Amino acid sequence: MVLAALLLAAAVAQPELDVALQVVPGRLTVQMIVHQELPVEWTSALAGGAPVSITYRLHLYRNRRWLWDQRLASHELVVKAQRDPLTGVFALVAELDKEILASGQESSQEQAVRWVTSPPSVEVPVPVRHEPLWLFVRAEFFTRYKLLVIPTAEGTEWVQRAIGETP
Amino acid sequence: MGPAGDRGDAVSDWRRRWQRYRRQNRFLIALYVLVLALAGGAYALFSRMAGLPVEELTNRLLIFLLWWFDLTLIVVLLFILLRNFVKLALERRYGMLGSRFRTKLLLSYVGLILGPSALVFVLSASLLSRAAASWFSAPVEGMAGAGVTLAEGLRRQTEARVSRTVESLAREVEAAPGEAVRIEVLERLHGLLGSQSTSWWRNGTPLLELLDPRERALQRLGGLDLDDGTGRGVRTERAGGTLVVRAWHRLGDGSLLIVGEALPGDLMAAQARLAVAGAAYERLKLDRPTMTATVVLGFGALALMVAFAAIWLGLYLSRRFTAPLLALAATTQRIAGGDSLEEVPLPAEDEVGLLVGSFNAMVRRLRQREEELSATVRRLDTVLGAVRTGVLSLDAERCRVAGNPAAAALLAMPELVNSEQPLSALDEVGLGGLADRIRAADGASRGGLTIYPQGVARQVEVAIVPLGAAPGPTGWVVALEDLTQLLRAQRQAAWSEVAKRLAHQIKNPLTPIRLAAERIARQFERGSAELGEIVPASCHAIVEHVQVMQDLVDAFSRFAKLPPTARRPVAIGELAAQVVALYQGVRPGLEVRLNDRTDGMLVALDPDQLRQVLTNLIDNAIEASDGGGLVTVTAGADSSEWVLTVDDDGHGLGTTDPELFFQPFFSTRGRGSGVGLAIIQRIVTDHGGVVRLLPREPRGTRAEIRIPAETA
Repeated sequence: MVLAALLLAAAVAQPELDVALQVVPGRLTVQMIVHQELPVEWTSALAGGAPVSITYRLHLYRNRRWLWDQRLASHELVVKAQRDPLTGVFALVAELDKEILASGQESSQEQAVRWVTSPPSVEVPVPVRHEPLWLFVRAEFFTRYKLLVIPTAEGTEWVQRAIGETP
Repeated sequence: MGPAGDRGDAVSDWRRRWQRYRRQNRFLIALYVLVLALAGGAYALFSRMAGLPVEELTNRLLIFLLWWFDLTLIVVLLFILLRNFVKLALERRYGMLGSRFRTKLLLSYVGLILGPSALVFVLSASLLSRAAASWFSAPVEGMAGAGVTLAEGLRRQTEARVSRTVESLAREVEAAPGEAVRIEVLERLHGLLGSQSTSWWRNGTPLLELLDPRERALQRLGGLDLDDGTGRGVRTERAGGTLVVRAWHRLGDGSLLIVGEALPGDLMAAQARLAVAGAAYERLKLDRPTMTATVVLGFGALALMVAFAAIWLGLYLSRRFTAPLLALAATTQRIAGGDSLEEVPLPAEDEVGLLVGSFNAMVRRLRQREEELSATVRRLDTVLGAVRTGVLSLDAERCRVAGNPAAAALLAMPELVNSEQPLSALDEVGLGGLADRIRAADGASRGGLTIYPQGVARQVEVAIVPLGAAPGPTGWVVALEDLTQLLRAQRQAAWSEVAKRLAHQIKNPLTPIRLAAERIARQFERGSAELGEIVPASCHAIVEHVQVMQDLVDAFSRFAKLPPTARRPVAIGELAAQVVALYQGVRPGLEVRLNDRTDGMLVALDPDQLRQVLTNLIDNAIEASDGGGLVTVTAGADSSEWVLTVDDDGHGLGTTDPELFFQPFFSTRGRGSGVGLAIIQRIVTDHGGVVRLLPREPRGTRAEIRIPAETA
């Protein structure tokens, strides 16, 4: 019973997507770590040499009274991984808004998975505002189809973080 | 016209164009395809702008188009079905013609189309989904995995072999004293171990490089970039179309010993193909849900298109089949409701067209008949308006009455011409007698009547005739003949004739009376001796002629004072026998014979008046039979009349008009009052019959009396 309670507490304490923020005037540094176990299809495709990726979506909102929230900015970090079946080397690339942010090579799948689930920190500009902003982050692995035809993105839940005033 | 007017015209023009085009199916389909193409193009453009890979873009575009196509088809189908169902429900609620039939037809179509279409779609989607799953079967996956494992194993085996070689070399070199000996050892072992590449490096400078000249890939390789400074290791690299495995070992003096080996090119090419195929297979596995969705959506689109086309076709056919029938039914309903005859405007073919054509032909024929009937009615109206006889028409119940102008003028009711009036309106204007006569008639009847329109007496002959066969006449017609002027004229003529004849009859005895009186006076003035003889003779003549005048006056009185008819059942044969018996032996050589064919028949007559009629006729017959002969009285009956004839063998009628004999005081004998036949005619007329005199062949006269049996 105690073990179950501890496991439950650990499960509750460990979010699917851990987002750490560092705010400096005009800029926001986001560090994301996926704790959720990646789907089998994803890992087997990586092991088989197919190109796979994890897309981190970052949306910055501000609250508006009487209206829906206004999206101030939207960013997309795509972390790609592909194994060379001949050399066994995993080629890794991180692109922020289609611009290469970082790249690397790993010789084992564990290291490659660790690289894509804890990608390099992302630094995005934040508009200067005297009001709290909200950052929504989500990691998407690939597209599934419910009832065969309804596309749904497989990934973590949206994580919401408040950003204090940025004078 | 100003700019505002021009804008208004332009808007109306566009509205008219839209109204004209929006009902054309081709226009709607083209619009739909255009919107589909525009949406797909826009999506492709935005996706391209987002920088998607070409393969991903194609997949997403295909899925998007299929989704768009399916959704729009579903929406259109639902719209069509809902629109038709709502329309039919409203039509059924308001009881419009044909709504029930079209509802059944639509439900049948929908059931027949959607059921099989859904079944085919489900079966096809399931079959294709399973087929897609079978593409990723275990044998294929095993082969792909084995290929990858094989490549992996070969690489690892090579890496292990090269690592062992460099370790062996390192041990021998470490044991050898001096650099020259070490180089000799390396050259010897390089040849002995059959290595493809052996090199000895110190501070980035090669001390020794031994290469197999056949391996060009090894010749093009540069030095190892060992940033981490590890003492030993192995690395596999792509070079010259093959794999090169290099293992290194750092010796105790800091120099680096490297052994390399290039895997066979052809083997590596095969392994590369295998690896690419395996990677593609994994990629395909990852895209399997997308492929399944594409297939299902594609088949869904196909099924929806079939359903859409079938339902559209069904609705079109149902409209095409039912439209002529509904138009026909609506037209017949309108005609039954009292509308004018009209043809069904919808052109149609096949059997329905035959039906519509027959109906239209019938309508044309009926319209022609109607026109003919209208012409006849117009002619009849014209005739009725022109004739002087008043004609009233009544309905079967004799409640409403209308009349022609003559009737309206006769009855002083002009409103009868324009519209039907209640029969009771006649009572209100003092024509109750006529109204009662009309109400009481139970068949065809005729008779005289005195009416008092606006208080003025008028004698009319009223003839009432039912329309149609008894017992249920469809209407009644009453003819009113105004006899007032005629009767007045006849009466005046009769009185003139009576006065003339009376004067003539009176003048005949007056002349002898005047001559006798003058003779007495002349002889008295002369003092004639014969006066004693002349006076009695003249007085006798005067008295005799005065008696004639007295008889004349008595006859006139009898004719004028004829009593009313008192009918009762009489055995007509017995009465005739009684009268004939009185004339037996009345004159020598004359026989009066009775021919009784009545068989004891009882007839409602006035026996006294009939006896007088028979006596007068026999008297006339005896008078006409100068030298004797036979007078035959015959009593009998035919189908509808009682008949009495008196035949004689006398001198006959001569050239005199027989009708003159029935006028009062007309006589060809020069004696008698001349009112006998007039009295006979009046009695017979009062009994509703007729009397006439007919010549007999070769000589003689027949007096014939006919009285209707129903009247008698």
